[in-house]
Amino acid sequence: MIRVVLPPNLRSLARVNGEVQIDVAGQVTQRAVLDALEDRYPVLRGTIRDHVTQRRRPFVRFFACEQDLSHEPPDTALPHRVVEGDEPFLIVGAIAGG
Amino acid sequence: MSVGNQNVTAERLTNDEILRYSRHLVMPEVGMEGQQRLKAARVLCVGTGGLGSPVALYLAAAGVGTLGLMDFDVVDYTNLQRQIIHTTNDVGRPKVESAAEKIAAINPLVNVRKFEARLSSANALEIFREFDIVADGTDNFATRYLVNDACVLTGKPNVYASIFRFEGQASVFAAADGPCYRCLYPEPPPPGLVPSCAEGGVLGILPGLLGLIQATEVIKLILGSGEPLVGRLLLVDAMAMRFRELRLRKSAECPVCGLNPTVTELIDYDEFCGVRGEEAPAAAAVPEIQPEELKRRLEAGEDIFVLDVREPHEYQVCNLGGYLIPVGQLAERVGELDASREIVAHCKGGVRSAKAVEFLRGVGFTKVASLAGGIQAWSDKVDPTVPKY
Repeated sequence: MIRVVLPPNLRSLARVNGEVQIDVAGQVTQRAVLDALEDRYPVLRGTIRDHVTQRRRPFVRFFACEQDLSHEPPDTALPHRVVEGDEPFLIVGAIAGG
Repeated sequence: MSVGNQNVTAERLTNDEILRYSRHLVMPEVGMEGQQRLKAARVLCVGTGGLGSPVALYLAAAGVGTLGLMDFDVVDYTNLQRQIIHTTNDVGRPKVESAAEKIAAINPLVNVRKFEARLSSANALEIFREFDIVADGTDNFATRYLVNDACVLTGKPNVYASIFRFEGQASVFAAADGPCYRCLYPEPPPPGLVPSCAEGGVLGILPGLLGLIQATEVIKLILGSGEPLVGRLLLVDAMAMRFRELRLRKSAECPVCGLNPTVTELIDYDEFCGVRGEEAPAAAAVPEIQPEELKRRLEAGEDIFVLDVREPHEYQVCNLGGYLIPVGQLAERVGELDASREIVAHCKGGVRSAKAVEFLRGVGFTKVASLAGGIQAWSDKVDPTVPKY
């Protein structure tokens, strides 16, 4: 199981609380995790990756194990601790409240 | 790294100040020189709301010599749940006046500079140049980008925090060699994707948590002590009470602080954030009905189906007796509606109901309208017993 943390607005959109746990078949990459996430929550399509280009949208970033993975190629394997479920894959989004 | 006036010998402390700041002075990490640095420092708080309240209160108490307070707003009753620098008696007063009064009561030695104005591309650079550090306590994306860009262009650190519901983010942007806000988020989300605190709510305590992180970072920058949050993003989850630290990198491609910047002067931030685009279609593209008109027609016994597209917990706060389908469920539950009847959709303020009407018209409903201003306008114009939230 891969643990995914969504930003609060996308949790509301997907109607989930807390972390999401998803099964990913094959190699665990950003693309595989996001594909599985969008399969399970179709409402998230277009909110994290562009509908057409499938590239990360500029107001979200991907992190794991404290490191910024936003600019990693989407087919790069995620860190072992994410694959093992020890650490979540974090999707962090811009918020502006003050 | 120390920010601000490095020649602090002119800022000798009086005996009263030595007594007031004695808990600082006994710590070698602050000491006499650090307290003099604080006295010499000039910090601008942009926004005196949820974040700005604790930032300003604690920086004043700590002995920051000059505090700039910038806000165009007046104190509203709904502010009091979290904006602790303002009191019930301040409702209706300019926030800057209210905040300055509290600061004077806490520490009359602070030189408060009041800017009762909206931060804009026209005034930001001139004002920022008069300060050493900027604390961003604003509440919308357009101003967030404006503060960031103005900090980069004037070389001032941007001590940043933002909040939403139960979560917050904090960092120090635009410090020497550190990333800026645009390195993290080059572009804002499209209007409507990330609700504001007014729409999505915010735990009243949360700006206290994040504001104190900002105040701490300001003090550290002035003292030149500790490890500032430069190149790090702190995520705060108040519900889990979990703090996560993420590493950030300065982006060579950043349009404002990168190697080949394309933003070399302040721009139109409303346009950049699509704010104008957000307002126009919602108001213009869908038919609306005014609260007084709806009341008159309902009392006349006309067959109008009132559709409430808010969330169930909002319905519990107040309602008009309408049929509840949250806007997010409308697509899957549209079969519950009768297209032959006239439908008036409403939400809290009119934005979600406009989206609902747009959707319903798109799937063939012809007799649909949005209640202008939502249940808030109903409370204002028709029935003041309906509580506002």
